[in-house]
Amino acid sequence: MNYTELQVTSNFSFLRGASHPEELVEHAAALGYKEIAITDHNSLAGIVRAHAAAKKNGIRIIVGSRLDLLDGVTLLAYPTNSKTYSQICNLLTTGNLRAEKGECHLYRSDVYQYAKGIKFIVLPPTDLNELFEFDPSFIKALKEYREAFGDDLSIAASRRYQGDDSKYLYQLAQLSSQLNIPLVATNEVHYHEPTRRQLQDIVTCIREKCTIYNAGFRLHPNAERYLKPQEEIFRLFSHYPEAIIRTQQIAEACEFSLDELKYEYPEEITTHGHTPQEELTFLAWQGAKERYGDDLPEKTITAINHELKFIEQMNYAAYFLTVYDIVRFARQQKILCQGRGSAANSTICYCLGITSVDPAKFDLLFERFISTARNEPPDIDVDFEHERREEVIQYIYQKYGRDRAAIVATVTQQHQKGAIRDVGKAMGLSIDTINRLSASISEFTDEWFEGKRLTEQGLNPGDPHLRKVLQLTREFMGFPRQLGQHTGGFVITRGKLSDLVPVMNARMEDRTCIEWNKDDIDALGFMKIDVLALGMLTCIRKAFDIAKENYSLDLTLANIPQDDPAVYEMICHADTIGVFQIESRAQQSMLPRLQPRCFYDLVIEVAIVRPGPIQGDMVHPYLRRRNGEEPVEYPSKELEEILKRTLGVPLFQEQAMKIAIVAAGFTPAEADQLRRSMATFKAKGLVTQFEEKLIKGMMQNGYTHEYAERVFKQLEGFGSYGFPESHAASFALLVYVSAWIKCYYPDVFACALLNSMPMGFYQPAQIVIDARKHGVEVRPVDINHSGWDNLLEEKAGKYHGLRLGFRQVKGLRQDDMELLILNRKKSYSTMNELRDAGISEATLEKLADADAFRSIGFDRRQALWEVSTKDRPVALFSGQPAADAKEENVSLPTMTSSEHVVHDYATTSLSLKAHPVSFIREKLHQLHVVSTRQLSSLKNGDSVKVAGLVLVRQRPGTAGGICFMTIEDETGFANVVIFESLFEKFRKEILQSRLIMVEGKLQIEGEVIHVIVKRCYNFSSLLRTLTPKNNENLPVLTLAYPDEKSIPAGLNKRSQVREVAPEKIFPEARNFK
Amino acid sequence: MLHDKPFVLASPDHGRMVITAANGLAQKEGIDIGMVVADARALIPSLEVLDDQPETLARLLNGLAEWCIRYTPAVAIDPPDGLLLDVTGCAHLWGGEKQYITEIWKRFKAFGYDISIALADTVGAAWAVARFSPNDRIIENGQQHMALLSLPPASLRIEASATERLEKLGLSQISQLISMPRSALRRRFGAQILQRLDQALGYEEERINPVQPIEPYQERLPCLEPIVTATGIEIALQRLLDALCHRLQQEQKGLRTVVFKGYRMDGKIEKMEIGTNRPSCNSKHLFKLFEVKIESIEPASGIELFTLEASKVEDLSTVQEQLWGNKMDLDNVELSELLDRIGGKIGAHNIHRYVPAEHYWPERSFKEASSLNETIQTAWKVDRRRPLQLLSRPERIEVTAPIPDYPPMLFRYAGKLHKIMKADGPERIEAEWWLHDGQHRDYYCVEDEDGYRYWLFRSGHYDAAKSYQWFIHGFFS
Repeated sequence: MNYTELQVTSNFSFLRGASHPEELVEHAAALGYKEIAITDHNSLAGIVRAHAAAKKNGIRIIVGSRLDLLDGVTLLAYPTNSKTYSQICNLLTTGNLRAEKGECHLYRSDVYQYAKGIKFIVLPPTDLNELFEFDPSFIKALKEYREAFGDDLSIAASRRYQGDDSKYLYQLAQLSSQLNIPLVATNEVHYHEPTRRQLQDIVTCIREKCTIYNAGFRLHPNAERYLKPQEEIFRLFSHYPEAIIRTQQIAEACEFSLDELKYEYPEEITTHGHTPQEELTFLAWQGAKERYGDDLPEKTITAINHELKFIEQMNYAAYFLTVYDIVRFARQQKILCQGRGSAANSTICYCLGITSVDPAKFDLLFERFISTARNEPPDIDVDFEHERREEVIQYIYQKYGRDRAAIVATVTQQHQKGAIRDVGKAMGLSIDTINRLSASISEFTDEWFEGKRLTEQGLNPGDPHLRKVLQLTREFMGFPRQLGQHTGGFVITRGKLSDLVPVMNARMEDRTCIEWNKDDIDALGFMKIDVLALGMLTCIRKAFDIAKENYSLDLTLANIPQDDPAVYEMICHADTIGVFQIESRAQQSMLPRLQPRCFYDLVIEVAIVRPGPIQGDMVHPYLRRRNGEEPVEYPSKELEEILKRTLGVPLFQEQAMKIAIVAAGFTPAEADQLRRSMATFKAKGLVTQFEEKLIKGMMQNGYTHEYAERVFKQLEGFGSYGFPESHAASFALLVYVSAWIKCYYPDVFACALLNSMPMGFYQPAQIVIDARKHGVEVRPVDINHSGWDNLLEEKAGKYHGLRLGFRQVKGLRQDDMELLILNRKKSYSTMNELRDAGISEATLEKLADADAFRSIGFDRRQALWEVSTKDRPVALFSGQPAADAKEENVSLPTMTSSEHVVHDYATTSLSLKAHPVSFIREKLHQLHVVSTRQLSSLKNGDSVKVAGLVLVRQRPGTAGGICFMTIEDETGFANVVIFESLFEKFRKEILQSRLIMVEGKLQIEGEVIHVIVKRCYNFSSLLRTLTPKNNENLPVLTLAYPDEKSIPAGLNKRSQVREVAPEKIFPEARNFK
Repeated sequence: MLHDKPFVLASPDHGRMVITAANGLAQKEGIDIGMVVADARALIPSLEVLDDQPETLARLLNGLAEWCIRYTPAVAIDPPDGLLLDVTGCAHLWGGEKQYITEIWKRFKAFGYDISIALADTVGAAWAVARFSPNDRIIENGQQHMALLSLPPASLRIEASATERLEKLGLSQISQLISMPRSALRRRFGAQILQRLDQALGYEEERINPVQPIEPYQERLPCLEPIVTATGIEIALQRLLDALCHRLQQEQKGLRTVVFKGYRMDGKIEKMEIGTNRPSCNSKHLFKLFEVKIESIEPASGIELFTLEASKVEDLSTVQEQLWGNKMDLDNVELSELLDRIGGKIGAHNIHRYVPAEHYWPERSFKEASSLNETIQTAWKVDRRRPLQLLSRPERIEVTAPIPDYPPMLFRYAGKLHKIMKADGPERIEAEWWLHDGQHRDYYCVEDEDGYRYWLFRSGHYDAAKSYQWFIHGFFS
């Protein structure tokens, strides 16, 4: 005899189940089960994982779902074949789409509609009524089900250990024989082993928003809801052997496996009755001619033929055509896009316009992009302008229909901080304790709670209650919490998507997604296209538009002149503020050392300044080899093949994986598994297994242990942060394009960049400063000249003048400004004309604050005085100018220029008048603080003091606690390095200062200058002197308080609360981890 | 406890915790009002964060205002953190204005408050000087004009937006405003600024709204001749009760506890205290409760003063009196009065009331109610059978039972062997792991050959090592 557990709630029934599907399957296999069902509540979200785990453990999963109905008794439903599986998917889709995200509203009538051929188990109420009978309403419902489902219906019998189990089962058996509905044994499994009951209690508390102390009867009375050994079930149901036999009947009937699901590519991607392969061949040659002209290079012809053959062999044509279709739409709509991903940098993708990276610049074999062994669909991600990606998404929905296209889900996992918060709350810890616990998690790493950190927070690591909390938190981490939508991963099918997987509403309007995430999709071999958003593409498109308008240039990603030495020269000098990817501090300090001179150098530049290579210690060997300070050697011939292009140092993900295959004897699938296992924190145990295997394998093949270990470390880095070569190449193109624009048209570049904000590392102030440095005249916001966006005006010198737009002013609304511009027939000359145009007082005040009235002769203070007037000439006098300051005989104090600068920063976060630091230069000078520009004229190792506004603070996880800071004064930037020991010491200064003064040693290496900090001082208070403040620096009280000389704290409380201290007006530095 | 470490008060704002107050130590470290707690924690990881309770602040201010009545009868509250004292004719009692405010300052200092005081002809001027002036705290008669000149507009008690705008216009001193044409100001800032200016300067009168402290629920009865007889005490008690109940009735209140005190000639105090189960202002009922205790009072040489003070007073919920169908439940006034009287005799601690508690573990499935009025939060669980009498401690028994978890066949309890004829079970109840560790229990309802029924359980699972034990936990009949 055999028993199959048919009622299993995994943790994909969020906050109900307390075990992962994988755990349940593994445990079932260990107990000798041949198959178990997974029946999550109104969902199929966990079954793909369960399926994958079952395959690994040599058992079978029975797909099922528990249907909680709004108007009926709960049912378990199991498909018997792929047709009935589709019915269940459609049923759940129906319920999902009529409810908010995360809910599923199902009614009996829905079930009847899709019921044919599905096996059902009805779940009886858990208790008998006071007459020891089942409630009549249940019996009525049961009769109705029997009518509807016939022989496909069974009734679940469970031993609950509630005292009256025998009576209960007897009554159930009576009912079963009366109505001719067979009994089926189940154990209502909620967790794989009894010890998980505690976590089950906790998730119940989280779900019910209560603590374990007041959860009461919402918890289960005992821990019997675990996966029991078959023998135990036989004993428990010894009086009802037919209930056990019934499990086998159902298990045999439900032989549907997810492997049967057939993914089919959509049809409407071809024309003229072509097959996909014919269509692709046609389009590829057509595109090749457009790209290369009629005279195709021999190399290209070979490449195209080769790739087409390969695609035919793998049957991938439909995939390429689907991507092509989306890209074609984007191009029609003038939406800029660029493909990346393993297959994107093929010659065919170049011909189809999916990518603009010329593959002739590479020497890559097409197969290298696609792993034939795993027969997975190729991977192409397409980046679109972030402002217009939604149009592309809606196009996909429109073209293929909502029933055939949907976004894949992302399973939001419970992370450390969230888990400790939820568990702590359920365990009744005070918010304060939870905060302290949460604080004891190391800020920048994934490390577990350290005893020392706990003690530091005043918690006792030995406290049993606290230990319990931590233990439960550890178990709870990694639990799925909800299904979100992926940033842009689309699944498109030929038939109805809801035949394959339940579809649900996403939180965002007009979006639908499926219940499975991208790993699930991968496991089943579905096609996925990533439609991603990239801010830089928006910026580049805007730059193209502006260039067309002002310079009559017709630029595209593909026609920007390539390999321009001037562009590389600029890049080599790290003059890259605003340029894609290489604008960060780390990149800027790498550029002068790496000296990129060709496109492939940029590819390397993009890939090398990443946590992966940095952690794997690959940066310095590469630099040394490139500069000829170290010989380029390869540990073996086979590795030379792989590593030649990167001088023997593995820099790309593909290389690392290839090493595992070639040098350590991994299969491609294993190498891929290795990479994946490193990306997710939960599979920590697996990593050590792979480590042994890799090192052993490499040593067997004659590599040194040391080299093998280094390779493993590099792999480890790649797992989480690596960059595949193909991605790097696609990004490198955008790097080059943005650098080219910046190099030749800094006016266009700055304007486009400002209009695409927020993006990148820098604030508008730095973009503007940089533009002025390159000879662009930047003009202030003005009511008579500005548009909403920043725009280019008539030339001043070499470039067009850049007029700042109203978008730079904080708090202005676009509608209001459009109204202002619309009514600006000729220039405005008085305040009342603006009022007549319908501009509100509040808006006028904001404009006055922004000093936008200069063209009618008011500075901000005078303008504000005018704006403040509440009355205006009406009736007879309307249209006449009101009494102004002069007539009123009022003279306002004039504003100093430093005050103006402070207000500029307060309203627009930048000032064209002066740099704030310039006003305190005199004071800094007295303190022997040098300007950032002077740094370059000093010597390596000199002691210096330098001060500036803090622009960026970074403490990358890869840098071992080192903090990097970029500061700015009126002459430029300086990069500051603070080592970990000092970071703790100067924590307050570093985190709080707007204006910081650092003292330290100069480190000069070529063009790269760093200040290695010894001391930090918060100089923010100096910024206060920029504005006059009467109530600051009060003298000590003169009235005799008998024994107290100091000012009572809080004396100025009111005045402090109301005012923004001037130093706070300067933008907060950005913090990057 | 907190004074030597940095701490802040914070309250939620748009999903973040924003600091609403910080102590001196925290401010010294750069933490300021309006900061987000997370940022503040980055600066001081050990920062103590407490929930802000604005109503506490209001209560505190009110309390301080009442306390200040010792300095003048007219004290008004100036939220959120100010008090206004009309000191007309008061200061000389302390020997002059300077001594007067020094005294107030000292007393507050002793309480642990940092305060700032100013004395002036007008409310406005005192307000401004107290908060903004670094100099003189006492503005001489008619000198407010001078005192105000150098102060910022914020000191005029005008709206924050107006202050901000004046600041932006560079008008940072009241002197600049005073010299300006009034119409120019009115056009831009409305009438309020002019009114405030006039009030501060004394051109316009301003009244304050003094606090009215709540009188304690207390009655006094001084006697012409010392009382020595029980009858005398009874009369006094009756009068005091009548007076107190009259007041309570008018204010729709009822008392829960009340103390009756007799001050004896020899300086000793005799007292008796009673409590009621529900708020009451029924003097007859209350008198009865006291009646049984009057004997305990020893007048000795005589009592010269009686007081009656209700120490716990609650709102009286008046319910519609019903003519018929008075149910004998806990809402019944007569029942609760009966309970009061029984309690008075045998001691209230001898009367128990139990309410259900949401626990599966039988010992915790009920708890003692704190009062007659405690409403039951959860219904009594009746779906599982529970014995009429539950032993407060389960008792060990010897049992013969088939393994692993079938009902027992025989058990020996208190020397007697019971043969089990019928049984139900097991009902498995797991230990409540968050409260105690331990094994689960399998409960059985069993009936012996005499028809008596018992509640037995096995603690722990059957195993070969016999780590389990059997107990009897209750009787059904």
